[in-house]
Amino acid sequence: MTHAVMCEDLWKTYQLHRPLGVKTLLLGADTPRDTRFAREWALAEVGFQVPRGRSFGVIGPNGSGKTTLLSILLSTVQEDRGRVSLSGRVAPLLELGAGFHGDLTGRENVFLFGSILGVRLAEIRRRFDNIADFSELEGAIEQPLRTYSAGMIARLGFSTIIHSPADILLIDEVLAVGDASFQAKCHRALREFRARGGTLIIVSHNMKEVTEVCDEGICLDLGRVVDAGPMAGVAARYQERMAAADRAQVRGGALGKP
Amino acid sequence: MFDARQTLELLYLLVKKELKVRYKNKFLGYVWALVNPFAFAFVYWIAFKFIMRLEIVNYSLYLITGMFPWVWLSAGMVAGTRSFVVSASLIKKAPLPRAILPLGNVAQEMVHFAFALPVIIAFLWFAGEIRPSASWVWQVPLLLALQLAFVYPLALGFALANVYVRDIEYLVGIGLSLLFFATPMVYPITMVPEAYRRWFELNPLHALMQSWRSVFLQSTLDFNHMAYAAACAAVTGVIAWLLYRKLAPRVGELV
Repeated sequence: MTHAVMCEDLWKTYQLHRPLGVKTLLLGADTPRDTRFAREWALAEVGFQVPRGRSFGVIGPNGSGKTTLLSILLSTVQEDRGRVSLSGRVAPLLELGAGFHGDLTGRENVFLFGSILGVRLAEIRRRFDNIADFSELEGAIEQPLRTYSAGMIARLGFSTIIHSPADILLIDEVLAVGDASFQAKCHRALREFRARGGTLIIVSHNMKEVTEVCDEGICLDLGRVVDAGPMAGVAARYQERMAAADRAQVRGGALGKP
Repeated sequence: MFDARQTLELLYLLVKKELKVRYKNKFLGYVWALVNPFAFAFVYWIAFKFIMRLEIVNYSLYLITGMFPWVWLSAGMVAGTRSFVVSASLIKKAPLPRAILPLGNVAQEMVHFAFALPVIIAFLWFAGEIRPSASWVWQVPLLLALQLAFVYPLALGFALANVYVRDIEYLVGIGLSLLFFATPMVYPITMVPEAYRRWFELNPLHALMQSWRSVFLQSTLDFNHMAYAAACAAVTGVIAWLLYRKLAPRVGELV
C-alpha cells in the first residue's frame, strides 16, 4: 500500500455535553446552555491522503478541528461517519509530560511511557541506552522527574517517542522542544524517521516550521478542509486570510467603541 | 494495537508506579498500609467489646479477618471509579486499552492486601492461637482471584458511569460506608434478627467476607458462599463488559 494515512469523508459531531450531575438531575439545568461551540460539525467531509515517508501539515485557526482530527487518527475519539485507514503503528507525541509521573525517575518514566505507547518492555530495554543518549540527560536519568526542568521533560518525551517502533507519528504543537541545538537534533531525527519510511502528521501554528518540515498539508476552518496542496502555498494563503481578517477587525475596532 | 502481553506489561508498570509513589518519601511506608484496617478494627473492638460488652467469641479475630479484605474492596472501588476521570489526559492522548485503568487500581489494592497477609497471619497466631495452615498456600490465592474477579467489574462499571455522571464517585463512597454496616462486618450474622437474616444472606459482600473468614479461622473453603460470590461476579462481569463495549469508545471525548 502506498498510502500511510487515508481519510475519506470524515464527519464528527460533539454533542453539547455537560457532565450530568445529581444537581442538574434534581434541579434541572438552570444555567443557559453553553452555545459557544454549538456548531453542527466538529469535522465535516474531511478527506486526505498521505503517502508513506511524507510529512503532512494540518493548520487552521483555534477550534477548527485539528486536534479532533488527530484524536480520530489516534482512535482516542471515534468518528461518526467516514473511513480512516492507517497502515502501520501510530504513536502520538503527547503534550509535555502527559503520561509522566514526577515521583518516578527518568528511567522508570521511559519504561512507563513506552509501555503506554504500546512498546514491549523487552523492546524498551533494548533501546533504552539510545533513548537516554538522545535525551542528553546523562546522570539525571536516575533522578526523580520532579527535579527536571520543562525542557528536560520534553527532551525525554521526545526521545522516547522517536525511538518507539512507530510508522506514523502524530505531533500536536510540540516541536518546540528544548534549545536551538536540541531542536535541530529533533528535526534531524524526524528526517531520519521519514527516510526510514516513517510518516509524520503535524499540527502547528508555527507557519515557518510547518513549511520547512511538511511537503503537503491542509487548512481546516470550522471543521472543513478549506485549502489543500503543497504546504508552502497552503500556509501562505492561510496567513493572507488571517492578515485580511485582522485588518477587518482593526477597522471594526476589536475592542468595541469606548 | 495492544496485545495481551503488552496489556499485562502496562498493567504491571501502572501498579508498580502506584506502589512506588505511595511508599516513596514515607518513613513508615509499609506500616501505613496496615494502620488503616487495624485502627478501624481497634475502634470497633473498643466500642462493641469494651463499652457495649457484647459477648462475641473471638471478636478481634472476626473483625480483623473481615476488615482487611474490606479495605481492599472499598479502596479499590473508590480509586477505580475515579480512574477514567483522573487519567483524562492519558485517555485523550494515548490509545491504551482503557479497561486496564480501573483494573490497575483494584490490583494495586490487592497487592497491599497481600503485603498485609503476614501481619494478619501473625495476629491470628498470637491473638487467636490459630496456627498458620499449609492449605492457605492454595486457599488464599483462590480467594484473591475470587475477590479480584468480584471487585474489578464493579470498579469498571462505576468508572464508566462516572464519566457520564460525575457524582457517581461520591455515591460510591457513601454507598460503601452504608454497606459496611449493612454487611455483617462488626457484628456476626447470627445477631441479626431471624426474620431479616435471609435478606442479609443475599448480600454478596457478606458471602465474600465469610469466604475469607472461613479460610482464616477454619482453614476450610466455604463453598456455598464462594459459589454465590462467584456467581454475582460473573453477572456483574457480563454487565460491565457490555457497558464497556457500548460506552468505552466515547470516553475519550467525555472525560
